Amino acid sequence: MTPLGRFILATLCGLVLAGLVHVAAVLAIPYLATGDALSQARATLANDTSVLVHAVETGGKAEGAPAAGWLPRQDPAVAVGVCAYDLDDGPVRITAETGPLLETIALHGRNGAYYAITDQAALRGTVELVIMTKRQYDEALASADEDERNRDMRIVAPSREGFVSIRVLAALPSQQALANEAARSVSCTIDGPDE
Amino acid sequence: MLTEKIALPDSGRAASSGRRLPARLLRGAVRLRRLGTVGLVLYALALGAGLGLATANWATRGRYPFGGVTLNAWTAWPKIGARDADPYVRAIHARTGEVPLALGEGLLLTALTDDSGRRLDPSCRYRIAGATPPSRAWTLTVERRGRARADAATDAAKTEGSKTDGAGDAGAPRTGFTSTEVLRDRDGRFAVTLGPVVQPGNWLPMPAGEGSIRLVLRLYDTPVAASTGVLEREGVPSITREDCP
Repeated sequence: MTPLGRFILATLCGLVLAGLVHVAAVLAIPYLATGDALSQARATLANDTSVLVHAVETGGKAEGAPAAGWLPRQDPAVAVGVCAYDLDDGPVRITAETGPLLETIALHGRNGAYYAITDQAALRGTVELVIMTKRQYDEALASADEDERNRDMRIVAPSREGFVSIRVLAALPSQQALANEAARSVSCTIDGPDE
Repeated sequence: MLTEKIALPDSGRAASSGRRLPARLLRGAVRLRRLGTVGLVLYALALGAGLGLATANWATRGRYPFGGVTLNAWTAWPKIGARDADPYVRAIHARTGEVPLALGEGLLLTALTDDSGRRLDPSCRYRIAGATPPSRAWTLTVERRGRARADAATDAAKTEGSKTDGAGDAGAPRTGFTSTEVLRDRDGRFAVTLGPVVQPGNWLPMPAGEGSIRLVLRLYDTPVAASTGVLEREGVPSITREDCP
């Protein structure tokens, strides 16, 4: 083989290798990243209520706005709150009191969002969800009292860890404070044994 | 395998064909021969690692490479908040920390060009008009890539200003409209004017700073998220260039 041929062969090998490295890197990024939303939200694990990570500021400086948001650019009219959960400690109950504003709640796992609900699904002004693993769900079914109807909305999470995102739209600048407050006040507590 | 390669070049010295090759290539080849197999292997490894990592970095830097549904100037991204989001979307979200709009929450549409396909120019005036797909609420915002730096500058200027004359927050320029606050005509349609100079009606100031302009339309609580076919039927707002200096 000529030197040039060897050089071309080496280049081709390099290009094939580059393809492999590219695919491997793209697939590995979600596992290696430290700035992803789940890692950032994990700091809120101990809280019982959601934490405001993006405040609406269309009507001037917001009170109690997060100092340094880790979120990239968001909708300026939407307040975003997050609340991390870890199902190892038991099922997690999310309770949101809905107001006059549009509010959406989404559940995110390791691989992205897996469930979303809006305030239109509220019953008497409250959206209530219980996030559980498959095992916890089976246990809850097995130990259910047949005479008593359970009204919980149960959602089986694909992974043990995840976070809940709450978005509240302030359609007018005057609704800023209301939206920020709503995004901050969703409770996410570990659902202990009822009895 | 490698030993064979070492043995080979001596026999195929390529002297006859070498004369026809450009001198530079020949010189390079001679240099390569001196480099030997180890050098070539190292070269291949370095090329693979460098190129692979660079392209991975480029593809996951911020804007979604594919998976969009194009409608005139707009591109809808229905898959970014779904469970079957592609690996590039996941990597981008992991790097940026983005909390995407989930499938049942809403739909994100972005536009980098006007309806005739020209890139949005910060010195031009644009008219964004028409109707939006059905949704409970929507917001139309304009953003600029290099806004972070410009923002920091204006923030610094603002704090400086408040220090000197004690003026309160004068308010940052408007960056978007919500469906509630936008002014509409008798038929419920709207027209937003995007431009650097003040306009009557719905004026959306062109953001300061450098970098490309991007229009973002977010539909909240929309049935469109389930199937983008509705988008084609109902239509998206048109973006027309009105005049340029």
